[in-house]
Amino acid sequence: MDFGSFLAAPEIKVKVVTYRDIFQDKAMIENLFGDEYKHISAVITLDSADLKQLNVKKGDTVILKNSFGRVVVRAEESGYEPSHRGIAYMPKSSWSNMLVSDETCGKGIPRFQDISLTVTSAKGEKVTELEF
Amino acid sequence: MTNAMEIYQMLPKTNCKKCGKTSCMAFAVALMTRELTPDACLPLKEEPKYKDSYEKISSLFKPSEGATETGLIVHEDLCFGCGNCVVACPVNVANDPYGVGSGNAPKNTSKLILAIEEGIVKARNVDECRRFGKNKILCNGCIVTCPVEAIEFV
Amino acid sequence: MENNYHVCTGCSLLCDDIEVEYGTETINKIYTACRVGVAHMKESKEKVTFLVDNKPVDEEKALSETVKILKNAKNPLIFGLGASTNEAQKQAIELGKKINATIDDSSSFCFGSVVEALVTNKIKTCTLEDVRNKGDVIIFWGSNPADSHPRHLSKHSYFPRGSEKQRGWEEERTAIAIDIRKSHTAKICGNYFIQIPQGGDVELIDALISGLSGKLPKTSYNYPPKKILELANILKGAKFGIIFVGPGLIYSLENLAPLFRLMQALNEKSNFHLVPMVGNCNMRGFNENLFTETGYVNSVKFENGIVKHGSEYSIVESLKAKTVDAALIIGSDPFSSLPRSIAKSLLEIPIISMGPSETLTTKKAKVHINTAISGVESGGSAIRMDGTLVSFKPIVETKNPLEEYILKRIMEAL
Ligand code: SF4
Ligand code: SF4
Ligand code: SF4
Ligand code: SF4
Repeated sequence: MDFGSFLAAPEIKVKVVTYRDIFQDKAMIENLFGDEYKHISAVITLDSADLKQLNVKKGDTVILKNSFGRVVVRAEESGYEPSHRGIAYMPKSSWSNMLVSDETCGKGIPRFQDISLTVTSAKGEKVTELEF
Repeated sequence: MTNAMEIYQMLPKTNCKKCGKTSCMAFAVALMTRELTPDACLPLKEEPKYKDSYEKISSLFKPSEGATETGLIVHEDLCFGCGNCVVACPVNVANDPYGVGSGNAPKNTSKLILAIEEGIVKARNVDECRRFGKNKILCNGCIVTCPVEAIEFV
Repeated sequence: MENNYHVCTGCSLLCDDIEVEYGTETINKIYTACRVGVAHMKESKEKVTFLVDNKPVDEEKALSETVKILKNAKNPLIFGLGASTNEAQKQAIELGKKINATIDDSSSFCFGSVVEALVTNKIKTCTLEDVRNKGDVIIFWGSNPADSHPRHLSKHSYFPRGSEKQRGWEEERTAIAIDIRKSHTAKICGNYFIQIPQGGDVELIDALISGLSGKLPKTSYNYPPKKILELANILKGAKFGIIFVGPGLIYSLENLAPLFRLMQALNEKSNFHLVPMVGNCNMRGFNENLFTETGYVNSVKFENGIVKHGSEYSIVESLKAKTVDAALIIGSDPFSSLPRSIAKSLLEIPIISMGPSETLTTKKAKVHINTAISGVESGGSAIRMDGTLVSFKPIVETKNPLEEYILKRIMEAL
């Protein structure tokens, strides 16, 4: 019997570290609404063990969710970075900004580096479009 | 990237000597050093059962045709155009100390090995590279300074 | 050749040694610029200049709509200007005075406080030429120039020969990366990469300060004390050290006190400077120009000749409190760069946008004016990340109007 089908898709909690990427900057200059920019930006890099736990292959889409938003992005497996279970990397973009808190303690500075969220498989759902 | 052993695994491994080498392993080494091209292994090229391997090996050795006879390969799709390799290359520094050696645009291009064009590194005058010639040394100036391993020697 | 060098305005390094080879109509080849610089210089294209409700209109119509919005607003926000020339920035500040605007740029949620500390001489700084000529210990703290300022290491901070650094980077310079993620810059720094947990910066600062005075450095995340001591010793031995601070460090500080502490401790033992890794080509210019005019670097509200200042006048707090009732956004895309939970307030007010490319902001704008790209299609000047003034000429011709020109016309029409 396939018990898997009775269970909810596995879910993990991660903290997100955002970063800048030169190819993303280049693609943004060329066309913010182009496929290249979307391909490089709407992505989350996870530790291979985290991917495994999620039962997600690299290149599949995943749902990122917290109380500020929900986005679907592509999952990637980390490359040269030392193992980082529980921490995920995202290039800073509109997609990562959909998940940032509006709390600022009155100082005018959003908590760009303090994003916590849950990840689950998106089961083939398409990457969220860039629109507002 | 690839080493001779990985290439060997894809060869017919019959040691038939048609390529002019004594064994398939020797042929793999000859490929790595650019002494021979994949086409020299006739069985690989002609027999249908090796078709996949032939295509794989041919594609592996393709970039070098455009690049250099000394085995310096630039992976243009990876390159940032940051110029780290250009400024760090000891041959570049010696030949153009006040241009690229000081971080600036080239002032004397005649003997430069590396320079940035259209945001991507271009290699030329590779016979000047310290890894080659009579007095060769294992220079790695352009490798350790690169953020993405865009330069490789095969 | 030398006289033909152009300046790249692709980032705040403002590289001044770019050679451009022209074809019959457009740019043929660009030499020495990085990948981002090349994309930036080739960005220029023919565009519809004036749009109202996303439909093409003529200049007069666009201006009259703009004036209508600004006249109806009690507290309009002027935001952006990080990619504008000094000349356009000054013009925008004048406009702000005239319409009693709130004026801010993205430095209010990034480098504003650091630049303020620099222009008021609270922190020792130096130029990028000093770094090239003398720098021996170079720290990238929460910054990743390999991706954000690609030529930083090759043109200034690590690899070039300088007047007092003739033997090359291997022998005479040490580059250190401190970050929460192994960035491309950290990769280049090799063994000198200190990976800390998110928010662990202040503890590392204090551990380093302990280390500098020979005390055992402790962190709650148990960073090996031996390694911190080793690092402290390298810093102590610096003849000309530089910290290039990036957003990673800034975002993890509640205020700048830990940074002041560190700089003071370092300068008791050796000689250290600080340069902010400002992003856009003239963000530092905006801070300095506003400072000259008002005494503040950002988050300013003009009110009948008086200048008010404080976080409540930053874009983020203005939007959260909904205190602004129209927005003039110049060369910036807050719909992309701000958290969506905050940017959504912009949907409730009329927006006038100016800038060279289509963004989420231009799509939501009531009026949009496609202006020339500073440094590519228009000349002027900008201030580099280290405070150096750089002038430039346009690289290509354009029919798109200059920001300065549009801002002048708005002033006149008001
Ligand atoms: S020709 Fe091909 S199969 Fe024969 S020895 Fe050479 S490599 Fe091996
Ligand atoms: S190996 Fe050395 S000499 Fe050859 S190109 Fe690279 S840096 Fe220059
Ligand atoms: S090969 Fe590497 S070091 Fe050289 S310019 Fe390209 S990215 Fe930079
Ligand atoms: S580093 Fe910045 S200023 Fe220099 S060429 Fe690249 S984008 Fe232009």
